[in-house]
Amino acid sequence: MSENMTAEIADHSSAHPTTGERDGANRKASSIEMQGLHKRFGRDTVALDGVDLNIRAGEFFTLLGPSGCGKTTLLRILAGLEEPEAGSLVVGGKNITEVPPHQRSVNTVFQSYALFPHLSVRENLAFGLKMRGMKTAERQAKVDEIAEFIKLGDLVDRHVDQLSGGQRQRIALARALICEPDVLLLDEPLSALDAGLRSQLQVELLRVQKRLGMTFVFVTHDQQEAMVMSDRIAVLNGGTIQQVGTPDEVYEHPVNAFVAHFMGHDNLFAISAAEDDWVDTELGRLRLDPAEQRDAQDGWLLIRPETLELDGEIPEGYNRLQGTVAERLYRGSRIEYRLTVNGRSLMAVASNLGQRMHNIGDRVTISVCPEDLVRVAA
Amino acid sequence: MRKRTLTRGLAGIWWVTLFFLYVPLFVIVLFSFNSANSTAIFERFSLAWYRRLFDNEQIINAFGNSLVLAVSSSIVALVIGCLIGYGMYRHRHRKLGWLIVLIYLPIVLPDIVFGISEMAFFVQIHAWTGLLQPGLGTMIIAHVTFQIPFVALIVYSRFVGLDPTLFEAAKDLYASPLKRVVHFMVPTIKPALISAFFLSFTLSIDDFVISFFTAGPESATLPIYIWSAIKKGVTPEINAIATLMIGAVALAAVLSMLFNRQGRR
Repeated sequence: MSENMTAEIADHSSAHPTTGERDGANRKASSIEMQGLHKRFGRDTVALDGVDLNIRAGEFFTLLGPSGCGKTTLLRILAGLEEPEAGSLVVGGKNITEVPPHQRSVNTVFQSYALFPHLSVRENLAFGLKMRGMKTAERQAKVDEIAEFIKLGDLVDRHVDQLSGGQRQRIALARALICEPDVLLLDEPLSALDAGLRSQLQVELLRVQKRLGMTFVFVTHDQQEAMVMSDRIAVLNGGTIQQVGTPDEVYEHPVNAFVAHFMGHDNLFAISAAEDDWVDTELGRLRLDPAEQRDAQDGWLLIRPETLELDGEIPEGYNRLQGTVAERLYRGSRIEYRLTVNGRSLMAVASNLGQRMHNIGDRVTISVCPEDLVRVAA
Repeated sequence: MRKRTLTRGLAGIWWVTLFFLYVPLFVIVLFSFNSANSTAIFERFSLAWYRRLFDNEQIINAFGNSLVLAVSSSIVALVIGCLIGYGMYRHRHRKLGWLIVLIYLPIVLPDIVFGISEMAFFVQIHAWTGLLQPGLGTMIIAHVTFQIPFVALIVYSRFVGLDPTLFEAAKDLYASPLKRVVHFMVPTIKPALISAFFLSFTLSIDDFVISFFTAGPESATLPIYIWSAIKKGVTPEINAIATLMIGAVALAAVLSMLFNRQGRR
């Protein structure tokens, strides 16, 4: 945000010199470079085990992983609330590894929101500006500006304990944004909200980020949320980065079994033997794109449920399997089938286009294009 | 039927307790307004004893001593107790069992033991160094010592009741260590601080035993004056002092409670 925030937001088309093709207007958007970050708690708990990660200026970047994977520790290191034992952190070209949190142009939206109970909403919003020594009149103008931007309405004049969860969340976001930081950090900010409000705020948050063009680093354990929100995702496990990529890259081409499982894939089958254009799995021999071939003989084959066709026309060269319908889950827009093939369970998803549904016990012919099969490292 | 009898019996205990708690106080207050020099027969309403009280230089002195002692010891105890309370909060994740016991000990220790040991200690120090001559100074030190645990525990429990992320939010929002104290910590625990101050004040005004052992010849407080005056018999003048003290302590206690409640809201 600049002094002229609303005016700049109105002018979406102006491309920004440092953010390239993005429509963001934030001249302060900063990139982040992390190198060899290590952090342990106590003697035995390794939270981060050598993290190298680059986040681009103006990017909505998500740190995704199960609890204890190190994503929150990494975020706290960015905020300056934890100190790494080794490694360096560069934001906007400046090494801030040793800079204390109150001197970093980085602000956080905390999971618990952390609104000051002794202050009004207005004073909460102005807190960061006041600490940086901004004059009262100027602060008030900024508060009104941000209240307009986040559409806080009359919330500004309420007391903190009169706010609902969703309102607190927006105040916490506004309190961080008002400081116009180089980087905004969000620590599972939506996890305490119910599903409806959550998806509404996801959209709102995304819109805010795109308008401001600010670098957002978002932490979540919810892969759906990560895919909806992010320009790029880093999947973490055990204190190391497993994969960095766009949502489709991570979902469609997970680099290992952990990422595949975490992104919600069930159809993973151990590869027992492989040649140029085929692999042997528990399901049988399947042909795949030679480009997909890996050097290693072991690993896993990933079959995305939505790439399987049941009892359809089978084009030349497609894989063909015989199976039985073991379970059917009617989801409205789509229908999920659990099939049994060679004694193995295989999930398939069909869009509900009004076609005949398969019944439990039906024998079905399953077909899948070789290009849709993905090899995944162990 | 039996249940009803039991309920009545319990209610009786309640009323008897209240009777023994408050009737003596009521009698003292009542007879302080007695025109006659009697603590048995009430003649008619009069402020004569209060007038005499305010003419008595010794009493005014003692009252002044009590006030100076209570205010200064409470301020010192507030500052030190606050630092200790915050320290206890900051290091609450470490094993602090024995430290907590150290803090609690003065609360459960009999005043007389505490008073005598303080006296012996001050006398020794005075004998060796010439410092700490018994007087207001030694009394302030002694009072601060027994007030600190109360302040520390009130401050500690207030901090424990806060979302720990608030401390991080203050850092994150550009507050330097000093600004965190001024703009976040002190305002956030302000109700607890005021409550702790009034509690300390009450404890100090109330105290007789420890004051008695640590006082010098010139530093008699009201309770000490009353104790020496009472040897000549309970006069309505004493009743008047007692009434004023009841008023002052009740006021401080109510204020302390109000502020503490406000903080818990």
